[in-house]
Amino acid sequence: MDKSGQSRGSPKEGAVRTRTLSLAASFIAVSCIAHAQSATPGGMPPPPGMNLAESAAMRFPQPVRVGDLLHRTVLQPVESQNVLGTVREVVRTGSGTIEIVIDFGGFLGFGTRPIAVPVDAMVLLGQDMEVVAFTPQQLRKFPTFSPTGTTPVPNDTIIKVGLAKPSH
Amino acid sequence: MRSPFRPDDVPDPAILDNHRPLIKSFERRGLIRRGLSLGALVMLTGCDVKRPEAVESALLAISRFNDEVQALLFDPNKLAPTYPASMILKPPKFNAYYDVMDVKPVNGATWRLELSGLIADRRPWTIQDLQALPQRTIVIKHICVEGWSYIGGWTGVPLRTFLQHVGADLRAKYVAFKTADDYPSSIDMASALHPQTLLATEYAGETLADPFGYPMRLRTAVKLGYKNPKWVTAIEVTNKYPGGYWESRGFSWFAGL
Amino acid sequence: MSAAVTARGGRTGRRLHPLPVRIMHWINAVAMLIMITSGWGIYDDDVIIRGFHFAKFLRLGDWAAWSLNWHFAGMWLLAINGLIYLGYGVVTGRLRERLLPIRVSELLHTVRETLHFRLEHADITTYNAVQKLLYIIVILAGISQVVTGLAIWKPVQFSGLVSLLGGFQSARVLHFIGMAVIFGFLVLHVVLALLVPRTIWAMLAGGPVLARPGSRAKAPGP
Repeated sequence: MDKSGQSRGSPKEGAVRTRTLSLAASFIAVSCIAHAQSATPGGMPPPPGMNLAESAAMRFPQPVRVGDLLHRTVLQPVESQNVLGTVREVVRTGSGTIEIVIDFGGFLGFGTRPIAVPVDAMVLLGQDMEVVAFTPQQLRKFPTFSPTGTTPVPNDTIIKVGLAKPSH
Repeated sequence: MRSPFRPDDVPDPAILDNHRPLIKSFERRGLIRRGLSLGALVMLTGCDVKRPEAVESALLAISRFNDEVQALLFDPNKLAPTYPASMILKPPKFNAYYDVMDVKPVNGATWRLELSGLIADRRPWTIQDLQALPQRTIVIKHICVEGWSYIGGWTGVPLRTFLQHVGADLRAKYVAFKTADDYPSSIDMASALHPQTLLATEYAGETLADPFGYPMRLRTAVKLGYKNPKWVTAIEVTNKYPGGYWESRGFSWFAGL
Repeated sequence: MSAAVTARGGRTGRRLHPLPVRIMHWINAVAMLIMITSGWGIYDDDVIIRGFHFAKFLRLGDWAAWSLNWHFAGMWLLAINGLIYLGYGVVTGRLRERLLPIRVSELLHTVRETLHFRLEHADITTYNAVQKLLYIIVILAGISQVVTGLAIWKPVQFSGLVSLLGGFQSARVLHFIGMAVIFGFLVLHVVLALLVPRTIWAMLAGGPVLARPGSRAKAPGP
């Protein structure tokens, strides 16, 4: 494997080898921690100084028919692909932003409650969707969706949604 | 928390002072680069390097043997199942060896397809040149080595038509691809000549979108997803094993479906 | 051990587990462990049960490519050993002799006895109805794994088989269920073997000599 071949390169000086090893060990420790952290959250808030829309724009938003989003499974972007809910409908808020109404939580589809998540916080992952900008803990604090002040987006409308690659 | 990697005997700090010039010169010689690549290795292996070299080479030898078996199992006339256009997933599923945010779109106007190797006419091609050749549309299943799949609709010139047109040596062993995202790939000639192997320029009847390989990508129904390089910039026909991005990291080369 | 059993048996006869069976059993044990744990590594790349993945320490292969390489190496061991085992079992009549017939009344009796913790295991040379059923199920599951595995490996070359299995994703799920059946068997098998350790020794050394080759008469208990 070329990757390991590359990193196995050791310093020629024997005197510095031990220190290199301990330095390398600390790198290993640090990257292990970084690795462990990156694998857990399942919510990637936009980088500092960037709002949701700007970060969504970096995810190459693709046109998708609203009707094709309905009933999609909404996943947490982690290896185990935890189910967060199902897409119930797509609405436009009074301020014009598009939100995806998710039947959130529950177990096997029972005991869910609708929450509205900004489309810019979500991505398409093949036949499913993912919430990338909020963790499940944050979503749990979302208010239960109330249609007042929103208008449903018709099925034939084309909206744009960002992409993600599979998490594993 | 105490790091499990911290040595029990901490060296005398004076050593640092005694060897400061040496350490400085060492740092200049790419300590960070080396540390980072070690870190990258660890990320890849998940904190413990537990693949003895003997095991690794035995597994790779079996994988190469399996490539031969796969080539024997491959029937060049066997067509992959096709589906109605209504089943096409729009947009398709994105995947790459990097995050979608790191996709670097290619300028279709200045894009050229370079040709090399055992090809008679090696003039570069524009996207219009490619689209002037007979086109074919296939609605096929994309199967990823990870296990997921989706139905996609692809249009483009069959690679067979293209290779015949440019006078490629169709008895050569490999067709290799270079891409704008540094993802070299290669397939066997039999799969390259399969009727469901396209130089795709459209998805679901629309120009290929940036994250899916605009202006041109390979799309073959007879290989796993990772054998379908996007943003293809060069094609080489060769008898010398060209390998590929994932293949050099342990994945099977043949990867036939 | 061998001498002792022979002495008890009075003559050199056929062992409960002839040498070929013992070799194939342990090869199969290794092959199954390779296939199951590397399969877990492959599974984790795109989970089938949403919300469930196998912990990293359970997987064979440090990431997907190596889990796949283990899986596609282990498949030869499993398939070739399995074919020889089935061939041997059919030709020698061992499969029929040991696993058939299963009578429903016998099955219900054993289940009842088991539930009352009165499991008869003084004689390890004959299988009770539940054992017979479990061995038949695990052999069928093993064959099913080869078939569904072939469908997943070569879904275009064997597209007819794939559609018979209900499509590619359905073949994956069946392959996963097959693993679960085999894994469930494995757990039970190991637990029961540990409860009656003589059976483990028998699978290593051959076990008691059977009274009369080919007959289903009970061998003298050790």
